[in-house]
Amino acid sequence: MSNQKKRNFQIEAFKHRVVVDPKYADKTWKVLEHAIHEIYNHNASGLSFEELYRNAYNMVLHKFGEKLYSGLVSTMTSHLKEISKAIEAAQGESFLEELNRKWNDHNKALQMIRDILMYMDRTYIPSNHKTPVHELGLNLWRDNIVRSSKIQTRLLNTLLDLVHRERTGEVIDRGLMRNIIKMLMDLGSAVYQEDFEKHFLEVSAEFYKVESQKFIECCDCGEYLKKAEKRLNEEIERVTHYLDTKSEIKITNVVEKEMIANHMLRLVHMDNSGLVNMLLDDKYDDLGRMYNLCRRVPNGLLTIREVMTSHLRETGKQLVTDPERLKDPVEFVQRLLDEKDKYDSIINKAFINDKTFQNALTNSFEYFINLNARSPEFISLFVDDKLRKGLKGVSEEDVEIILDKVMMLFRYLQEKDVFEKYYKQHLAKRLLSGKTVSDDAERSLIVKLKTECGYQFTSKLEGMFTDMKTSQDTMQGFYASHPELGEGPTLVVQVLTTGSWPTQPSATCNLPSEMSALCEKFRSYYLGTHTGRRLSWQTNMGNADMKASFGKGQKHELNVSTYQMCVLMLFNNAERLSYKEIEQATEIPAPELKRCLQSMACVKGKNVLRKEPMSKEIGEEDAFFVNDKFSSKFYKVKIGTVVAQKESEPEKQETRQRVEEDRKPQIEAAIVRIMKSRRVLDHNNLISEVTKQLQQRFLPNPTEIKKRIESLIERDFLERDNVDRKLYRYLA
Amino acid sequence: MIVAAPAAKDRVKFNVGGRIFETTSTTLANAGRDSFFGPLFDENWDLKDSSQSAGGGEFFIDRNPDCFAVVLDLLRTGDLNIPPNIPERLLYREASFYGVLDHVRSAKWGPFDGNRLRYSKSISGTAPGDGTAIRAAPDGGCAVAHGSIVHVYDWMLSEEHPPLTLDHQRVNDVIWVDPENLAVSACERLGRGDGGLGMFNKTSGQLRFKFQVTHDNQVKSFTAGALATAQNPNHRIFSSCKGRSNEYGIGVWDQFTGKQVDFFYESPGWSLGDADRLQWLEERNCLLVATLFPRKDNCYISLLDFRTKDMVWSWSDVGAPMTVDERRVRDGIAMEGNNAICVVNEYEDLGFMDLRMNGGAIRWSSRSRLIMKGRMPDDEPCYPKLALHDGGQLFSSMNDCISVFCGPDMVMTSRLRRGYGGSICDFSIGGDRLFALHSEENVFDVWECPPPPVI
Repeated sequence: MSNQKKRNFQIEAFKHRVVVDPKYADKTWKVLEHAIHEIYNHNASGLSFEELYRNAYNMVLHKFGEKLYSGLVSTMTSHLKEISKAIEAAQGESFLEELNRKWNDHNKALQMIRDILMYMDRTYIPSNHKTPVHELGLNLWRDNIVRSSKIQTRLLNTLLDLVHRERTGEVIDRGLMRNIIKMLMDLGSAVYQEDFEKHFLEVSAEFYKVESQKFIECCDCGEYLKKAEKRLNEEIERVTHYLDTKSEIKITNVVEKEMIANHMLRLVHMDNSGLVNMLLDDKYDDLGRMYNLCRRVPNGLLTIREVMTSHLRETGKQLVTDPERLKDPVEFVQRLLDEKDKYDSIINKAFINDKTFQNALTNSFEYFINLNARSPEFISLFVDDKLRKGLKGVSEEDVEIILDKVMMLFRYLQEKDVFEKYYKQHLAKRLLSGKTVSDDAERSLIVKLKTECGYQFTSKLEGMFTDMKTSQDTMQGFYASHPELGEGPTLVVQVLTTGSWPTQPSATCNLPSEMSALCEKFRSYYLGTHTGRRLSWQTNMGNADMKASFGKGQKHELNVSTYQMCVLMLFNNAERLSYKEIEQATEIPAPELKRCLQSMACVKGKNVLRKEPMSKEIGEEDAFFVNDKFSSKFYKVKIGTVVAQKESEPEKQETRQRVEEDRKPQIEAAIVRIMKSRRVLDHNNLISEVTKQLQQRFLPNPTEIKKRIESLIERDFLERDNVDRKLYRYLA
Repeated sequence: MIVAAPAAKDRVKFNVGGRIFETTSTTLANAGRDSFFGPLFDENWDLKDSSQSAGGGEFFIDRNPDCFAVVLDLLRTGDLNIPPNIPERLLYREASFYGVLDHVRSAKWGPFDGNRLRYSKSISGTAPGDGTAIRAAPDGGCAVAHGSIVHVYDWMLSEEHPPLTLDHQRVNDVIWVDPENLAVSACERLGRGDGGLGMFNKTSGQLRFKFQVTHDNQVKSFTAGALATAQNPNHRIFSSCKGRSNEYGIGVWDQFTGKQVDFFYESPGWSLGDADRLQWLEERNCLLVATLFPRKDNCYISLLDFRTKDMVWSWSDVGAPMTVDERRVRDGIAMEGNNAICVVNEYEDLGFMDLRMNGGAIRWSSRSRLIMKGRMPDDEPCYPKLALHDGGQLFSSMNDCISVFCGPDMVMTSRLRRGYGGSICDFSIGGDRLFALHSEENVFDVWECPPPPVI
């Protein structure tokens, strides 16, 4: 401060505010301005921080804040104009380096200037709504350097060129790049976005458009995907190295759009290497890559899913409708399971267990399994096969796995009641013939069915198991109460509850006298312990073990059906019997008898009877003899009945009809349940509700539902509304 | 930076206005980078060489050495001790020079506790007329409304910011929106659009926005009454509003844009536009509105949920039998933590209502007016007012006295009173200070807690 000022101070001693030397402000500012010059010229060591700080403080205190601030702006601006010239002058490669060096200098200078002007920054600037010193310095740098006409385009082009060179495989100075980009970000995200990012994204889009076109012309799908993935990773890496993290999503969007979204359909459908081929060849890596890339673009997964679904439906349809494949039900189901396994592992390994893909798989299976009306039967046959023989020597866990897979197929079935029907038949056969390999496996499957479809579904199946158990106890009781029966033939009776078992009302045959006496004893024993019951013999389902000796004294134990036993017993008293005689004596229904004779006379190795004339078919005029030359290397010989494992056409019709019959009461029950709670409902809603209620078990036919509704109206359960004929009312 | 001896690199020697001080760079680092001492350690400045060449290994500062001693002591200990010979104003100016004013502020008084409050000072104003409201600012300053003028003080209380006025209309309420801005509600002037509600910057005194009420796409003039702010979930400002046609109710504006975002039209008889107190309940996401006797003949308290446009809780004494001593609710405040609304009557009895139960009655506390009985002041009485501090302490003003209540049962634990100044018409807690405004003498008192004890 000058002497002059001091004098003024003394003169105006009583005034509150000091009126300072009019030149005071100019002088003080000169000092500060000089300091700013020195700082920019790297010559700050001669400056006194205390003096400068105090001067700036005094200027603000004496209300020269405005002068100080505007002085700062103009001084800094003029320095930046100088700097701008120096940067412009830099040639080629050194341009960015020069810019970076000057930027660092400016930052350092800005910090020091701010230190000097700290008091202004803290008091004058907030109360006068000015830009703080640091921010001001950045704004001036932005306007005078980064956005100066001679630097702006050159900077942008240099940066974009470096990126391009890096993309084409050159090594660039990433550190310098990072510093320059950091500068743009420091100047504010708007500067980074406007002056760099926007153009960067445009240029990138163009680059990848051209490149993807080139790739797609010469690469197969897998190769292309590999390249796209590599590019994507490169861009992500670029962002981490020298761009703003917020750019990652933007640049990846560009790559995704140009390299994937724009070519997706062509890629997915590419001949010999597209999605279908990958699925056929189980190319997990390629599929996974395709999934990961397509997931990034809109509708990407949808496209993959649709292509997979239609392919799956197509192959599935072939699988279930190909007449060749229908010959062997076990093979048929096994193929379905294999197909399921194949896709399960694709979804697991390549599609990270995506739920939507799992659903698509389920839907496709549901679609094509139900294309073949025999699927329920075949699945039941598959189970039958497994439980009969296939599970021998298989560990318990493996059994569970197989059963679980079957259950999965079962879930896809629409006509679950048809499956139930067949399953019951097959289970009955297994139980009665004692062929089931594992009781545990049987029960385990029942439990699975129960959890899937409810108690009602399996109650009859469980009843069959109960019958088997009770029968054992009954037999023990029977023999205990008849100790005299130790000699002679042994009778084993299985008492089956009517309704639980798929029994057909079959004509009984005439049992041999020994047996019929024994049967009578059992009947009186059983009815004695259980009153009010009726027993009828199902001779078509029984079997017998009998000892036989043939011409040369060879002895065998024959395992035969009840019918076969009846026939064979006749030969105890006769050498030759004609078909007619046998039919008369046994009263076995003709088709059954033919089958049973065929199995004993025409099957090589099992031919305990001899037929005249020798032929494959049984004729009404044929005559039968005991085959004295019968031989077998086994002592025990099992003589099967010639049965079609699959159902014959009429049988199929019959089963179908039974299923339809069984459905009627279920549909009616559903209608009544719904109407009882709704009281009034229109036709369409009723149909859809019934369908919804029943689809757990089967898919009811709307015309059938309509018939049932009419039948219920006839029986006064429902009535039509008098006004609106579409409405039904429940009559309590 | 000065290195006095190679053995003690940390040592720094200052010559302040001719007096030598020695300290360490560690002590000075407590001032922070954004202070005068910050650059001393910055390598850019390279101050070590320059000061050594300047002379004697000292760093010269052309400032008052007495104040420097206080500041240095503050940096060393965190304690502020101002010797009697140094005026506070001088010290504040020096602290401002060094950029450590915030350090001084936080050392000057301790964290708030109603039972440790000490009378600090009284500030007299020049405004004529009765005081209307006093509001503590978050930084320890305050705003005082008298008539149509609002005087704004910073925490040093010596410096007054430019006074605020909203078209010179009578001010009804003032609220701090944030440490820099405050909203002022005032009466309208018929037909001119004057008055209403405005937000001001405290430092510059500039009017930042005028909040408007729009009804049927027309801007209406209105009288703004009691105010409240909500920071969570979004930055809102609420005002009780009274217009000439339909604009009775609670207006809601955005703090940043100043735009009206909602309006809760009052249902008949609920007098939302005449409220004495608004309070935002953050946990419940509701606004408490209390309209009380004697502004209206009856008392109404309600909670408004703006999401459902619903009155989710309400109470009124309409139709309640008058008790012999005519206890009427004069103020109410919600204590969210206790699920209660606390009310006070003109005898300074506290009463409580359960917030979880709609339509309950007031449970008057058995604490009797042991001191006040029969001692009604001769001069104009002031109605009791309530305030709450975050720590769960409740404050109630009555005549010339403020009572402090603590604990789950709200037991009176302290009374704050000065021998003069007359009745307290309003008081406010904020920035760890309590301000009490006297009604007739145009004086307000500042109460603060001493810094924590030395040992």
